[in-house]
Amino acid sequence: MTMSTDPWVWLAALLSLFIFSYLYKDNPLFKFAEHLFTGLSVGYLIVIYYNNIVRSYLLNPVLADHRWVLLVPFAIGLLYLFRFIPKLSHLMLIPIAITLGIWNGIALPLTIEADIIRQMQGTMINTSMFRNPWDPYTGLAVGILIAVGVICTITYFFFSREHKGALKVSAHIGIWFVMIGFGASFGYTVMARVSLLIGRLQFMFTEWIHLIK
Amino acid sequence: MKFFEKLSQIDRRWIFLLVALAVIVPLLSRMGLPDKPGKYSLQLFEAVERIQPNSQPVLISADYSPSMMPELDPMFRAMVRHCLARKVRLIVMTLDPTGAGLAEDALRQIAPEYGAAYGRDYVFLGYKVGAAIVIMSIGENIRQAYPTDAYGTPIDSLPMMADVRNYADIPLVVDIAGSAVINSWVIFAGARYKARVGAGCTAVSSADYYPFLQSGQMVGLLNGMKGASDYEYLNQQRGYTSVPRVAGKGMDAVSIVHLLIMGFIVLGNIGYFVAKKNAQPK
Repeated sequence: MTMSTDPWVWLAALLSLFIFSYLYKDNPLFKFAEHLFTGLSVGYLIVIYYNNIVRSYLLNPVLADHRWVLLVPFAIGLLYLFRFIPKLSHLMLIPIAITLGIWNGIALPLTIEADIIRQMQGTMINTSMFRNPWDPYTGLAVGILIAVGVICTITYFFFSREHKGALKVSAHIGIWFVMIGFGASFGYTVMARVSLLIGRLQFMFTEWIHLIK
Repeated sequence: MKFFEKLSQIDRRWIFLLVALAVIVPLLSRMGLPDKPGKYSLQLFEAVERIQPNSQPVLISADYSPSMMPELDPMFRAMVRHCLARKVRLIVMTLDPTGAGLAEDALRQIAPEYGAAYGRDYVFLGYKVGAAIVIMSIGENIRQAYPTDAYGTPIDSLPMMADVRNYADIPLVVDIAGSAVINSWVIFAGARYKARVGAGCTAVSSADYYPFLQSGQMVGLLNGMKGASDYEYLNQQRGYTSVPRVAGKGMDAVSIVHLLIMGFIVLGNIGYFVAKKNAQPK
């Protein structure tokens, strides 16, 4: 068994172990690694944002190309800082209103199309499902299952009437679909978190301690 | 019954230890459990297969950060290898500030494997702030969002970008992301500009994107480490690369940990019902 001679690999491996040590209990090595990570992340992002936003969208165009009009949105953006002056904090609402207005105007129609209309179409049973009714992805059986699941789940969240009779049955079926959905999400969450552990251990066993080729 | 009561009081560190062993042992022993690519991974792979070599480019947005690397970096690398092996031109960009370094590093490593030339076979546009605005700007004219590439070279001076104006000239857009930015690609590139969108996501967020597959708003989806492993497998199966699989190596451990967690859930539930029964007055 050989080990890396690269000091950066050693540093990364030791910091990973410091972070893992929290699983046993909180300790100064974990705190050190945690604070180092936070400081580095913030420092890195400040530089990235300065270069990609302040310099690219404001300093260079204004100072080099004399596009003075850009000072107007810059001034509007500065109004956010008035939140620290209680008497003038209402000025902060101006950039918020502009941002919300523009964003809603752009996003609302498209979101309705992509997230509601197209999803409703996807839920509906169509003639193509009859071609191969038992196909587990596109068949009629799964189409009916999806349609029933959507309707029953929506009825579970329908609170304008007491859940009695047919509504109660439908809501009960709906909660089963919701629970199965939560179960699937939990399974994926396990896979995601385990993948992160695998990634770190692969690094340690591949690049630090050469156990995996 | 005492067994289940004791089990419910077990120190959680024993569980951590078991999970660690369930990961380490398969990683070191290479069990080689059977591999079968999922339908949606295959769909995305086939979508790239259908693109003509040396014609219109694929756009990949590498919107992930180091904390998502184990799942998304192998995915990105596998897709880049697939495109470059087939001589499918590639535009790489990122909407995550920390994604630029990761994507650039991967391109630098992979391009020489296929003799790919910068500007002719692939370009790297770098990071731009404002996800939705950038996505929509590309829909009008990619030069609005990216007048230059990541190195300051004007887009118009790059040969492969000469005929690329907007999504109409890009047959496939793939977003590899660990955040909700995939939604923005579906909404703004897909719904507004009718771009064909595929995605690769972390497993934890994948349940949010399956409805887009079922409705035909996405052409395919790579789901976490499993999706990355599928793509690596397909690349090797079709002879596009002989580089050892990174995500593929981790899949044995994923399977074993899933079995372990299922065991914990079953035991936990039995313990819960036993404790509930014991608590009832006799």
